[in-house]
Amino acid sequence: MTAEKNQNRKIAKDSDFDLIQAINSGQADKFHDLVKRYEQKLYNFSLRMCRNPSDAEDMVQDTFLNVFKYLKNFRYETKFKNWLYKVAASTCIKKRRKSKFAPDKELSLDEFLPNDEAEKPDNVPEWAMLPLDKLLNEELSGVINKTILELPKKYRVVIVLRDIEGFSTAETAQILNLSPSNVKVRLHRARLYLRDKLKGYFENDQ
Amino acid sequence: MTSDCHEHQHCLEMFEKLSEYIDGELDHATCDEIEKHAKNCVACFSCMETLKRTVALCRKVEDQPIPREFSKKLKEIIQNLPKPTSP
Repeated sequence: MTAEKNQNRKIAKDSDFDLIQAINSGQADKFHDLVKRYEQKLYNFSLRMCRNPSDAEDMVQDTFLNVFKYLKNFRYETKFKNWLYKVAASTCIKKRRKSKFAPDKELSLDEFLPNDEAEKPDNVPEWAMLPLDKLLNEELSGVINKTILELPKKYRVVIVLRDIEGFSTAETAQILNLSPSNVKVRLHRARLYLRDKLKGYFENDQ
Repeated sequence: MTSDCHEHQHCLEMFEKLSEYIDGELDHATCDEIEKHAKNCVACFSCMETLKRTVALCRKVEDQPIPREFSKKLKEIIQNLPKPTSP
């Protein structure tokens, strides 16, 4: 029965599978290839999670050290990338516990409800209709990154994983050990917060 | 119930589900309801389009390059690590 169960165990064979097999079979020098493959993505994830480049570098370094330590235990039950982000997210949470930050502020849905009659638009604002390429420039990218950093961490990590890193709801839930419905609630509030800030940015611009 | 009150309730229901709608995580019937409501409510349609645009912009934001010095430091740290042992 156990053998059958093991045979039926789903293996997430992704593009990292062969490299990880090689590392775990003794070619430890190949670990650097794995680092090269993910250092850029992980650095940007860390930058969005921490508030300064020095903390982001520490987070990347600690994440890779943890990955190196525990790679032998990786059983391909998920894609390697998902496991890597799980390690990174947990490294970030542990770091935060050691810091003196105040607990996360809750974002309530009511904060984002459009104000009835006073704010009812006559039509859709231009920034929602223009082609994306015409809209997105360095300044706007900066506004988006800055606003994401303003978000309380529990909302920030969800919007970063879902809308920037491109993980699905189920994957994000797995990475953060949350229920999918909890991921959806946090994502919706984070998006509404960002939308409000973008609305303000474009209204002041006009 | 006045028609205004009925509309407002629809607006709130739609507002709560907008992200799931954008992500294609709702059933057909709920999607149809949302689309029908958005056709007749400029405020909700505008809210939906600006939220869609917010998500699209997020997906397009570019990454920063990793500082060269840090990448070099990382490489050195990795090279000096002891070989992992079996668990």
